[in-house]
Amino acid sequence: MAMLDCKEVLDHLSEYIGGEGSDELRKAILLHIARCGRCRIVFDTTGKMLKIVMDVEPFEVPLGVSARLYARLEKVLAEE
Amino acid sequence: MKTPEPQEPEDDLVLVERVLAGDPRSFETIVRKHERRVFRVTLAVLGNAEDAEEAMQDTFVKAYRHIGQFRREARFTTWLTKIAVNEALQKRQARKNFVSLEEAGETEVKRLPHRSQQWHEDPEKLYGKQEMRRMVEDAIQSLPAIYRETFVLRDVEGLRAEEAAEILGLTLPAIKSRLLRARLLMREALAARLEETPTFSKRILRTAGRMREMIAMKLMKAVGQ
Repeated sequence: MAMLDCKEVLDHLSEYIGGEGSDELRKAILLHIARCGRCRIVFDTTGKMLKIVMDVEPFEVPLGVSARLYARLEKVLAEE
Repeated sequence: MKTPEPQEPEDDLVLVERVLAGDPRSFETIVRKHERRVFRVTLAVLGNAEDAEEAMQDTFVKAYRHIGQFRREARFTTWLTKIAVNEALQKRQARKNFVSLEEAGETEVKRLPHRSQQWHEDPEKLYGKQEMRRMVEDAIQSLPAIYRETFVLRDVEGLRAEEAAEILGLTLPAIKSRLLRARLLMREALAARLEETPTFSKRILRTAGRMREMIAMKLMKAVGQ
């Protein structure tokens, strides 16, 4: 596979992080990021960002929002 | 990614069957199970809690009234999320200050990422859980709408690319390209928040510094200086 430039390497970021793509493509990306500090940091920190988003405490529906939803549904269910 | 438990589709199907058989109370179980996801999605499309709440209520009312139209080929989650996105999109279009998709950021990320500073090995160790969650939420909310909705469906709710494409009415390549841009933008947004939020240890040092100054001033006062 021909040498990839920064733009091409970046286009395959999601595939690479998701463990997808052919062996050949993954090798070409590895070769690029071994030499290019800027892309290496982008790949590394995007991976870290995804890990943080996955690990962060689950999002909660605010109590008032939830209570108003149940109140409205209670009415709808009673009517139908 | 927060992938649903393997038994989830069966559970949903059982609940839907019960509702169809005349047990409306089973719908409450469906609501409890999915309200978090639906609110998250409507918030992602609309960007403010007030509109998102209204869209969430309309989503469940519509889902209840049309539950007979649910086809078992799709996951219940996909069906419900699609209703939520449609309800939210209708509200977005109806809003006075509606911003077109192009203006919402489609052309914004043509350039390469500009932040090229390495992060700390494990940023999660430097901040409290609440603080980390606030920074993540804040960063998600800062994304342009079209990237925010793709990011939330794929990376927060863990839907497959095919499901996200079906829900948003986009092709698979379009979803992939939006997700890439969304991730790059999210990386920048979170990096900015990590840079500007002092870590726990820095805050302790700062407080200790302030206390030292106060003690020194009191001592000076006490000795009459």
